[in-house]
Amino acid sequence: MLNLLKDIAGHRDLISILVARDLKIRYKRSVLGFLWSLLNPLFFILIYTVFLKILKFYRPGDVMFLPMLVTGVITWQFLSTCVGDSLHSVVGNANLVQKTAFPRIILPLSMNLANLVNFLLSLVILLLYTIIAREFCAVPISFKSIWMVPLVFMTQFALCFGLSLFFGSLNVFFRDTEHIVAVLMMAWFFLTPVIYYHSCIPTQYQKLAFLNPMCGIVTAYRTAFLGTDIMAPRLVLMSFGIAWLVCAAGIAFFQKVQSRFVEEM
Amino acid sequence: MWKRCDMSEDIVINVEKVCKRFRLRLASRTLKAAVLEAVLHRAPAGPREYQALDNVSFNVRKGETLGIIGANGAGKSTLLALVSRTMKPTSGIITTRGSISCLLELGAGFHPDLSGRENVYLYGAIMGLTRKQMSDKFDRIVDFAELRDWIDEPVKHYSSGMYVRLAFAVAVEVDPDILLIDEVLAVGDAAFQTKCGERMKEFRERGKTMLIISHDLPTVESISDRILFLEEGRVHGLGETTSMVEDYRRFMRRKEEASAKRVWGNHDIMITGVDMMNPDGSRAGVFKSGKPAVIRIKYHAKGEIRRPVFGFSISDSSGRVVYGNNTQIENFVIPSVKGDGAINMVVDPILVARGDYLLSLSVHSEDHLTNYCRMDHAFVLKVECDRNYEGSYMPVKWSLE
Repeated sequence: MLNLLKDIAGHRDLISILVARDLKIRYKRSVLGFLWSLLNPLFFILIYTVFLKILKFYRPGDVMFLPMLVTGVITWQFLSTCVGDSLHSVVGNANLVQKTAFPRIILPLSMNLANLVNFLLSLVILLLYTIIAREFCAVPISFKSIWMVPLVFMTQFALCFGLSLFFGSLNVFFRDTEHIVAVLMMAWFFLTPVIYYHSCIPTQYQKLAFLNPMCGIVTAYRTAFLGTDIMAPRLVLMSFGIAWLVCAAGIAFFQKVQSRFVEEM
Repeated sequence: MWKRCDMSEDIVINVEKVCKRFRLRLASRTLKAAVLEAVLHRAPAGPREYQALDNVSFNVRKGETLGIIGANGAGKSTLLALVSRTMKPTSGIITTRGSISCLLELGAGFHPDLSGRENVYLYGAIMGLTRKQMSDKFDRIVDFAELRDWIDEPVKHYSSGMYVRLAFAVAVEVDPDILLIDEVLAVGDAAFQTKCGERMKEFRERGKTMLIISHDLPTVESISDRILFLEEGRVHGLGETTSMVEDYRRFMRRKEEASAKRVWGNHDIMITGVDMMNPDGSRAGVFKSGKPAVIRIKYHAKGEIRRPVFGFSISDSSGRVVYGNNTQIENFVIPSVKGDGAINMVVDPILVARGDYLLSLSVHSEDHLTNYCRMDHAFVLKVECDRNYEGSYMPVKWSLE
C-alpha cells in the first residue's frame, strides 16, 4: 500500500497531464469548452424546476422538495459519470498500456480526478442555487452543516474511485461489463433517495437501505447543503464505512488483475 | 558468492528462465462462460494456451547492444514487452537496472487527439521526468524529429514517417539507461534512418544499453555487439553477430524450402532420397554449369511395379520451371522395380545460369493415371557458372552480315 502511494506520488506529473488531457478531450471542438461544466448543472436545475412545477410533481407547500431533488441529482451525477467513464479508463488507453510501463492505477485515478474538477464546479452551482433559493424564494435552508461537505465529498470520491477500479478492469476482460453496469446503475438510481426523501423508505427497510453507500452520501449532502437534520447519523456513518471499504477492495482487486491487462487487450 | 555480486555489477538486464504463456481467448468467450467455468470448475473448450517464450535466459551488460532476430512469431516482441514491464512473465525472473525507454512498434503510446507537444510531455511524464526536465529537452526533440511546423497539430494528422520520427526522438531524448527498439526504423525514409543510426551510435558511445529487434539483417549486424536468435520462443543461438545472422539466413532458407515442399502420391513407390554427384561418384555440393551433373534417385517400391516412369523438373527460386523431362519422353523403359533401388540421371552438360534451383521429382505409371510419388521443390540444386548468361543455356552462333 505504501509502495503504491509512493509510486503514484512519483508520477504526479503524469497524473496532472492525464487529467488535463481528459478535460481537454472532453471539450475538444466545443465553442464554449470548459463553460459546459458550469452550464450543464445549470440547465439541469432549470429544467427540473420548470417541469416539475408545471407537472405539479410534488405537494404545493413542499418548498424543500426541489432543493432536495437538485442536491440529489447533482451529486448522483458525479457517481454516474465516474462509473460510466471508468469503463473506458483502461480500455480507452490501450496504446499507453501496451507500450509503456507505469502504475496502471493512474489511469482510473486521473479519470476520476478529471470528473472531480467538473463536480466541484457543479457544487459551486449547487451552492449558488441554494443561496438564491434561500434569499429570494424564502426556502428554509440553513448552512449550519456546510462544514460537512469536504467529508462527504471525499467519501463519495473514495466510492467512485473504488467502483471505477472494479468496472475499469472488469471491462478489459469482459466487454459485457458495459451492459451490466448500465442496468445496475438504473436500479441503483431508484434504490438511492435521489428523487425522493429518504424518509419515504419504509422504516423496516431503513437499515437495509443504508447498506447502499450512496444512500448515506446523498442524505449527508442534503444535510450539508440544505441544513436538514440528519435523521440517522449511525446509519449514515455505516454508509460511509461501506464506501471506504469499496474503495479499498477496488484497489486490491485492480492491483491483482492489472498485470494481465496487456495480454487481454 | 562474491563472484556473483561482482558479475552483476555491470549486468543491466538479466533474464532468467523466462516463460510466457498466453491464454488464447475464444472469440465467443463471455462473462457467462467465465462464470460457468468458475462455478462448475469446467475446463474451457478449445485450444487454450500459447507458449510465446519458453525458458529464455540471457543477460546484457551495461553499454552493450543486443540485436534480437527471429522469424515472425518467434517471441521477439513478447520478450521486449517483458523487459519493458508492460507484461509479466508466466514464470522466471527479469531484473533490469536503470530507466527503460521503449519504442514498441509504431509510436510510443501517443494519444491521437493530443498535439505532438502534449504527447512529448505525456511520454516524459510516463518516464518519470518532470515538466521542467522535459522543457529542457523539448527543442532538441522537435529539431531531431524535424517537426517544427507540426508540433502543435494532433498526432492523428501525422504521416507514419512523422509519427515514427517523433517517437524515436522522444524515446532517445528522455535519455534512458536502456533503450528498447522494436522494428520501427523501417518506416522512416533513408535520410532519417541514417540520422537514427547516428543517434543510436552516439547513444551507444555514451555507454547506454540497447535491445533492438529488426528484420533488417545488415543493420542489426552492424549495430549490435551480440545477437540473440529466437525461434519458436526458445533461444536458438546467442553470440557473435556475423555467425548468428548467417545461422538465421540458413535457417530461413531451410524453412522456405520446407514450406514449398509438397509430397503426395499413393506411395507404392517412394522416393527415399537423392544424391547429387560428380561423374566420378563424389558428392557434389555445387554443380558447374557446362559440366555433367549426376543425380541418383533412391526409391523403395512396395511389391513389384511394372514400367514406372521417373520424371523431374528444375525450377528457379521463384518456382518457374526451367527444364522438365522424364524417362518416357526419353524412351528409357524401366521393365519393373521392386524393393529398394536407385536410378541414375546424368545431365550432361547441365546448362543453366548460376543460382539455387529447386528440383522436383515424380514417379508415375506409364499411362499417367497413377501417381506413385511426387515431391515438389524438394531438393536444392546449386549451380555455379563462369559465364553471365541468364536462364538456361541454348547454343547460339553470332555472325555479322
